[in-house]
Amino acid sequence: MQLDSLNRAEAFRYMGHKGGEIPENINALADECEGKLLAAIRPNYVWRVFDIEKTGGGISVSGTSLALTGNDITEHLRGCERCALMCATLSIGADSVIRAYESAEMEKAVIADCLASAAIEQVCDIAEREIQAAVGDYHYTWRFSPGYGDLPLGLQRQFIEVLQAQKRIGVTVTDSLILIPRKSVTAVIGISTREISKGRQGCSSCNMRETCQFRKNGKHCGG
Amino acid sequence: MDFNTLLNKEFICLDGGMGTMLQARGLKPGETPEAWNLENPQKLIDVHKEYIAAGADIIYANTFGANRYKLEHCGYSVERVIRAGILNAKRAVSESVNPNALVALDIGPIGQLLEPTGTLTFEEAYDIYKEQVTAGREADVIVFETMTDLYELKAAVLAAKENSSLPIICTMTFEENMRTFTGCAVSSMALTLEGLGVDAIGINCSLGPEELFPIAEELCKWTTLPVVLKPNAGLPDPVTNQYSLSPKRFAELMEKFVSLGVKIFGGCCGTNPEFIREVSAMLKTRKFSPRNVTILAACCSASKTVEINRPRIIGERINPTGKKRFKEALLANDIDYILGQAIEQVRGGADILDINVGLPGIDEGAMMVRAVKAVQGVVDEPLQLDSTIPEVLEKALRVYNGKPIVNSVNGEEKSLQSVLPLVKKYGAAVVGLCLDENGIPKTAEGRFNIAKKILDRAESFGIRREDVYIDCLTLTVSAEQTAAMETLNALRRVKNELRLKTVLGVSNISFGLPQRVIVTQNFLTMALAYGLDLPIINPNVPEMTAAVRAFNVLSCHDENSMEYVRCYGNTESAASPAPANTEITLDYALANGLKSEGAKITEKLLETTDAMDIINKILIPALDKTGAEFESGKIFLPQLILSAGVAQSCFEVIKNHLAKTGTKSVSKGKIIVATVKGDIHDIGKNIVKVLLENYGYDVIDLGKDVDYQAVVDCAIENDVHLVGLSALMTTTLGSMEKTIKLLRENNVDCKVMVGGAVLTPEYAAKIGADYYAKDAKESCDIAKRVFEEFYPQG
Repeated sequence: MQLDSLNRAEAFRYMGHKGGEIPENINALADECEGKLLAAIRPNYVWRVFDIEKTGGGISVSGTSLALTGNDITEHLRGCERCALMCATLSIGADSVIRAYESAEMEKAVIADCLASAAIEQVCDIAEREIQAAVGDYHYTWRFSPGYGDLPLGLQRQFIEVLQAQKRIGVTVTDSLILIPRKSVTAVIGISTREISKGRQGCSSCNMRETCQFRKNGKHCGG
Repeated sequence: MDFNTLLNKEFICLDGGMGTMLQARGLKPGETPEAWNLENPQKLIDVHKEYIAAGADIIYANTFGANRYKLEHCGYSVERVIRAGILNAKRAVSESVNPNALVALDIGPIGQLLEPTGTLTFEEAYDIYKEQVTAGREADVIVFETMTDLYELKAAVLAAKENSSLPIICTMTFEENMRTFTGCAVSSMALTLEGLGVDAIGINCSLGPEELFPIAEELCKWTTLPVVLKPNAGLPDPVTNQYSLSPKRFAELMEKFVSLGVKIFGGCCGTNPEFIREVSAMLKTRKFSPRNVTILAACCSASKTVEINRPRIIGERINPTGKKRFKEALLANDIDYILGQAIEQVRGGADILDINVGLPGIDEGAMMVRAVKAVQGVVDEPLQLDSTIPEVLEKALRVYNGKPIVNSVNGEEKSLQSVLPLVKKYGAAVVGLCLDENGIPKTAEGRFNIAKKILDRAESFGIRREDVYIDCLTLTVSAEQTAAMETLNALRRVKNELRLKTVLGVSNISFGLPQRVIVTQNFLTMALAYGLDLPIINPNVPEMTAAVRAFNVLSCHDENSMEYVRCYGNTESAASPAPANTEITLDYALANGLKSEGAKITEKLLETTDAMDIINKILIPALDKTGAEFESGKIFLPQLILSAGVAQSCFEVIKNHLAKTGTKSVSKGKIIVATVKGDIHDIGKNIVKVLLENYGYDVIDLGKDVDYQAVVDCAIENDVHLVGLSALMTTTLGSMEKTIKLLRENNVDCKVMVGGAVLTPEYAAKIGADYYAKDAKESCDIAKRVFEEFYPQG
């Protein structure tokens, strides 16, 4: 997979920009950071489709030892017969670019960091479309990741084991459940033969809406 | 039978995939396969026997992920799981058709990335591998496979070499761009591992044989060791999880590698005994074609190999000798200063960086380790490890990721005896200085003789001729005019008669003369014409890099003058948006993010203005102004940081000035900043650091993933009264709480401020912090208050 450009508007939003013109010198820095990132990253993803089964505590992913626990993932996958597990990454190149900037050029480090955050979203969007095209004419939920709602972050380790994400795209997880390379994402996409109600696609129906960190930062996880 | 005897065979056949075989027998993805060593031994014995029956000479025990990190959740110890795994394999051999088959202790990546991207330290990785190597002592050979991080693999190889005498096979996993996920190049892998003395190297996993061909081709160019190939059965289908190649097709594709000179064949993911049977049958019809390769002089980092086949610039700036500001930075443990020097030299044109941190009053070994780890984390260029103390060299050699140059050994017996074994053990190249017990010989003849002695001794230690670089030593021409030609004549003889690469620090030549750069540049050009390969220079002096680049054009090293044109063809530099024809002011530079202009203006101001006046009357008010604009939303984060960056470059000029004039800089107080244990998000913390430094505080940056006790120790040792802690994950807030608790338990007389996206003022109060800072600007306000109210003495 290759990205030709990065989502600047989104990146500036992450930097706290609240509208208005971006100053020329900041745009020039963003040009440099974007060029460096595009040259350094190797966006990649792995995915697999599994049958799923509803259990007492959540959803079990058939044929694996992985159980997706909690009310939110159960609700998210309601009516789905299968799910795709995916893991996407910008690769370690993004980490290296940001780190090199951090020692002497913090402004570029911050800009590169936010551009990279925007980039991994772009990668996930492309991955999602490609997965849907490969699986075929079904109905799909939006991406739901460990840490959203009450789906435990603690699943990360098993999640990447099941996908063999370290072997296949170089993604690992630390003891504190941080994915490394830093700009990496794991997600579940529900697959259904029947239409999926729109009601499930936003913060309003999420039981974490008061405390969700994602929401606190002005983002939302799908929909 | 042992591995070396096995190497006498035409080819060696390895086994195939284990995961797929176990999953066919009921193992679920996500379960710990190694637990089956104890829970389902018979199933493993059966799999091993099938592979031996199919023709495998070496079977890999089911120990790939049996490390303490991956086994943590399964309830069995590393020792038990590995011993059982080896035992199963040994039993399979004894019950099989080939009782001579060997059993490999199979070891994969730990599952966590190493520093600086990850949190695992090199030393921890070594320890984890040591445990596995020790537990697997009953095996016949050790295999490290599916490795993507050369640094991790180096820790593994050292752990094996130092705790076992078994032969070692290493295979790494490459992508189609010829690199591993961590950016390791094929040449770097080969140079580093052959240097460390492993027994065979190769490629496994990731792709099918077809895609791996160019990678194997490249590897065969870079190593004299037996080459291993263990590809996947093509690529997997995400829906069915089936691999694309049939056993027959797989073997057909593998046959092509015979002509490359590959010796050892097997299969990885998606292969089964049927694949191995086909491969083994194919190999029986072929003859091994030995490779005749000579590995030329080269050094490397994990991501970049520098061949010494044309003049290459070694940057000399990371060295405190004669540099007051550098000494200050070392004493203050200011690693960012060193990183700045590294990056600047690479931009200037350095191919290799010399690292010397020797200074009385500091722990040179510890500093060297920190500097090497930090510098190799931000630049791709290989390093030259420079110390007069063998113990320091060894510490640096251990943690260096790649094949470095050691600077240096000389003709003295003591030096030869202590340095050369290190060079051999860690597979480095070495600089040999033409001096001995009697000092520097006056004549070219004398220096040539020492060079020859160093070469002979190096070869007797098993060091290759290509890895010995000779320094014929530059003397000051104003003191001894005839010496310059003696150096050059010695250099020419070393190069032509001994066929060795040459290295030379040239700056000394012009000491004591006016317009030094004229003499130095011309001496450099002469030396290059006499055969100098590795000039040690300051690459930031344009005349010096220009001399090398011009030489490369004139000597046909720079084909079509490509590099020269790239460097000098576009002399119009990117114009900064400075107002035309008007003198820009410091205020303007600060507001517009013009770093180098800010530094220049500061330099000029220092001629007429007191340093403290510049700080208090210009810089601080300017910072206050941007701070207020940030708070009111008039500017946003990158603008705030940019103007802080300008101020930082102004402060750097002032610090240099104060260091030169011997004035002690005035500190407003010491502050520790740290990202807490388990957390690696340090951008926020680094922003805070820059702003605090601008306001005149001495900031001790403990980095990320900082141990609780390290914060306490540092605060006590340095008498620090304000500690800033950062955490960005809900999972690491606990570490923040523990750090604060430990500070309190140790009665450290300090205030604690905390910040980070997941924190709230309420939570900050709950975990015992004194202050919550919502952003970097507020942390400066807090610091001001703390030192004014509680610690006015700083």
